[in-house]
Amino acid sequence: MPLPEPPKVAAVEVIAAQPTETDRAAVAHMGAAEPKAVYVVKVKLKAKPPVTSMAWALYVNDELVSKYWEYADGIYFTVSDPQFFTRHRGKQLRFSQNGTDFFDTGVKLAAAPSVAEDSATRLPLQADVLK
Amino acid sequence: MTVAQETGELRNPGLPGSEEFDTLIYGSPPLAYPATLSQYVIYNTPDPAYLTGRINVSAFANLGAATPWPFTNTNVPLNGHVCIPRGRGPFPLAVFAHGNHNPFENSTPGYLYLCQLLASHGIIAATIDVNFLNGSNFGENDARAIVHLEHLKQFRTWNNTSGHPLHGKVDLNRILIVGHSRGGEAVGHASFFNRLAAIGPVLLDGSAGLGPYRFALSAAAAIAPTDRQFVPVTGPTVVPDSYFIIHGSKDSDVFTFEGYHTYERAHAVDLANPTVSDGKFKAMLWVHKANHNQFNSVWAPETAPGVAMPRPSQEQIAKVHLGALALAVLLDRHEYFAVLHDHAVATAWDPAGTELVSQYQDPQRIFVQHNQEGLGPLVVSLPVQGTVAADGVVATRQLTALVGGAATTTITARLAWNAAGSRLLLQVDPATLPAERYKVLALRVGQSNEAANTANRDQDFTLEVSSGSRTAVFPASSLHRLLFPDPPPFGPAKIVMQTLRLPVARLVECGVDPSDLRAIALVFDRRLSGVVYTGDLQFTN
Repeated sequence: MPLPEPPKVAAVEVIAAQPTETDRAAVAHMGAAEPKAVYVVKVKLKAKPPVTSMAWALYVNDELVSKYWEYADGIYFTVSDPQFFTRHRGKQLRFSQNGTDFFDTGVKLAAAPSVAEDSATRLPLQADVLK
Repeated sequence: MTVAQETGELRNPGLPGSEEFDTLIYGSPPLAYPATLSQYVIYNTPDPAYLTGRINVSAFANLGAATPWPFTNTNVPLNGHVCIPRGRGPFPLAVFAHGNHNPFENSTPGYLYLCQLLASHGIIAATIDVNFLNGSNFGENDARAIVHLEHLKQFRTWNNTSGHPLHGKVDLNRILIVGHSRGGEAVGHASFFNRLAAIGPVLLDGSAGLGPYRFALSAAAAIAPTDRQFVPVTGPTVVPDSYFIIHGSKDSDVFTFEGYHTYERAHAVDLANPTVSDGKFKAMLWVHKANHNQFNSVWAPETAPGVAMPRPSQEQIAKVHLGALALAVLLDRHEYFAVLHDHAVATAWDPAGTELVSQYQDPQRIFVQHNQEGLGPLVVSLPVQGTVAADGVVATRQLTALVGGAATTTITARLAWNAAGSRLLLQVDPATLPAERYKVLALRVGQSNEAANTANRDQDFTLEVSSGSRTAVFPASSLHRLLFPDPPPFGPAKIVMQTLRLPVARLVECGVDPSDLRAIALVFDRRLSGVVYTGDLQFTN
């Protein structure tokens, strides 16, 4: 049997959304200021891989995305620190199953949209972004 | 005692016991699963005496947005099936958790065959719903662990609730947690979290609904687990409780035997205190021809027809070996540790012709050689003092993972020879090795599929143990088969070491004085060439 192939990425979209209470608690625990927004990074897949226990870990450049979740068109993760996008500007999204062998997706991280200081309450809810 | 004598005294733990039991569903109403999740409607109407609350796992996980769960991650239900022996009890508790799978198929009932077995032996056994964490998700195994612990907490609550059918009926000092696949990784995290007061910003003192835990876990058991999909900030989880793992060679999901890394990290030698033990055991069973999904009776096999053993055979193996574990650790049937010590004890109970590899490490042990000092030449490990000499054997230490997958931090020794009679000799100062205090000499050793080994032929060598002028000689094959690796579904073959256990009593019968033990040699005189890997050599119980 051939080895499983990594998912193929169609597009990446970054959307600013309202932080949840859980997001605020996590950021506070890190000693950082309350975030104006949480960025939902939607990774649209050409086809979803079968649901298995082995997983394709997602990396942005060499930084592991520690958790990601499924939505209708692919997978998504959230970022509360906007510096993440500065740090990885123009860098590849990559998949790996063992942390040693990496597969470039050919898709780069999109920039984070700017968020005005007073816009937090006008941002969409994360749940709505994923509908 | 011979294997035949041991099996003669033991009853097959995979056969039902004599206890009658009831099976019921518990859950967290009101729930209204939609028609697209029809397999879950059974949880809409749980047994009225077994209602549970909801928990908030939002600090650990989101729910897949592609599945229409009738709740959010702030109020997930505690649903499950439980088999409860009739009678007053108290009965030990075993709780099973499934792993990742298509969330539209309910994975929970897939371990009822094991719950029913354990309940028939007088154990309350539950299988829990963690389906809401399933899907194309990653990194959520901390949440799976929390859900598992919260189910234990629910049983504690019922046990402590006057008037509840389970009041006083759960023996909270005897708890076994079992997980499959990602649920198998999660039982390791649960074992770790069980001792914590907080995880990051989340207090586990009950103030936010989660915890407190501090359960007396008798053991954590993992069936074909993943490893390190979730990594705590303190580093990869080291399971602090006794640990059992079972995995199949034809696993085409978790195809790199990830859990072997978990096994190696658990109860490893502490280089600063090599004689200190944490008092826990670990045991491993590698099952040739078993696949991933057939350990769950609901999941369709992931392998093509004919690749893996039949499902009834795989379930039989699960029942025999998990049954033995449960009887040993939950019911104080210590004689069933013999199955963990040596899978050959279960030969008559396993499907005919099944090829297995097993490892066991007892809490009581002293390492003669553990190989964790570094990648330099092989040495005798402190505090035992001695020398190592290789004659015709190329002996090197290496860090390559024997089972594929992610990098390992556990060093093994590679021994290669091309002429019969080559030997690796460990000479020890008997004043530093109190072998007479132990019952068994244990060596972990396994062959690879490298060209020096003949395909599909057992490897073999001679083990020589000497005191003064007396030497006892044992073919390795008289202790156990050293199987050629089973071809894997993907990638390189796995080298899985077998623990060879040589009773000290047999040394004594041969005139060897364990209080004056001076040399242990691996003599490669039974095959012209070969490559074997060794993990550790210890005197143990």
